[in-house]
Amino acid sequence: MNKELEHQFVKNLEKNQNIAHKICRIYTNDQASHNDLFQEITIQLWKAYPKFRGDAKFSTWMYRVALNTAITLYRKKKRGIQTQDYDTVHFKIKAEEYNDEEEQQIKLMYDAIKELNDIEKALVFLYLEDKNYREISETLGISEVNARVKMNRVKTKLRTILNP
Amino acid sequence: MDGLDLLKKDWKSREANLPRLSYDEIYNMIWKKSSSIVKWIFIISILEFLFWAILDIAVIDKNYWKEIEELELTEFTIVSNIIGYLITLIFIFQFYRNYRRINSTDSAAELMKNILKTRKTVKYYIAFILIGSAITGLISLYFIIDHHSATAEVTAATNYNFNTLAWIKLSFMIIIGLALLMGLIWLFYRLIYGILLRRLNRNYKELQKLDV
Repeated sequence: MNKELEHQFVKNLEKNQNIAHKICRIYTNDQASHNDLFQEITIQLWKAYPKFRGDAKFSTWMYRVALNTAITLYRKKKRGIQTQDYDTVHFKIKAEEYNDEEEQQIKLMYDAIKELNDIEKALVFLYLEDKNYREISETLGISEVNARVKMNRVKTKLRTILNP
Repeated sequence: MDGLDLLKKDWKSREANLPRLSYDEIYNMIWKKSSSIVKWIFIISILEFLFWAILDIAVIDKNYWKEIEELELTEFTIVSNIIGYLITLIFIFQFYRNYRRINSTDSAAELMKNILKTRKTVKYYIAFILIGSAITGLISLYFIIDHHSATAEVTAATNYNFNTLAWIKLSFMIIIGLALLMGLIWLFYRLIYGILLRRLNRNYKELQKLDV
């Protein structure tokens, strides 16, 4: 029974691990923190798994638990000198795919996202993942109207960073 | 193309570059220890309950009861202790219930609310301990002064006036000392939890700000 549950869980997570990696990408700046957060998300998912019922999709459920871990449960470890910019390891933009101006813009946007607070990061993440306002409001626990208002504010904030 | 659309396009195109863990790597991870804030809050809270309970028991020895008896405070001490333990039990029960309610599948706002509630229970418990000890301390002090002046009158009647003044001074000093000590303990707690819960508080406020 337990073995079966373990297997089922790990299989599901293996398939959907991108969600967690993307959250780590938004919330952390270096490889070590990325791994830390990913591990904590995995632990929290596993702890919550017995309560997961099949009525929702694993991925939908995972968005919520993983985001909650990043925003609320995860304790950032103080790290010494960050010798390597995470972007250069994993986000390497293939130069030929973009013209210089676009590339520059995207770089600026990622920098801008790093400056946002935890809640705003969550909103941007959910926007990038094409989540609708109902899902966003349920995940964060705010009303749909307020999710919409706040989302527009964050978008404006990002736009003004690009075009001051 | 809008900057945000560009970003979205880029975000999606990078999906291919994400790290990928194997089944075994994930399997090993689920048995690792969590370092979540909830775990720390739970451990620290239990230590707090234990600390005050042990302190309470450590103070009580044979001499303690002898002195209490001499001061005719037996009933008062027994009653105040029973009340104290009952309230502690209620606090522990409440704490456990709140702790059980913490669930990472709730919405972010709900989760934060539940964590803060758990923390608040312990905070109220500490406040109860501090205020409770202050009150019982003052009542005992009153009885001690009362007891002393009753016996002192007989032995040193001439010095009585001086003694009253001295007692007033002493009680005044004790009250100030008590207040200072409690203030320090309170500050200490604020500091620990201020640090531990800073991020959570900030995010919770941010969410609440969104929802007015």
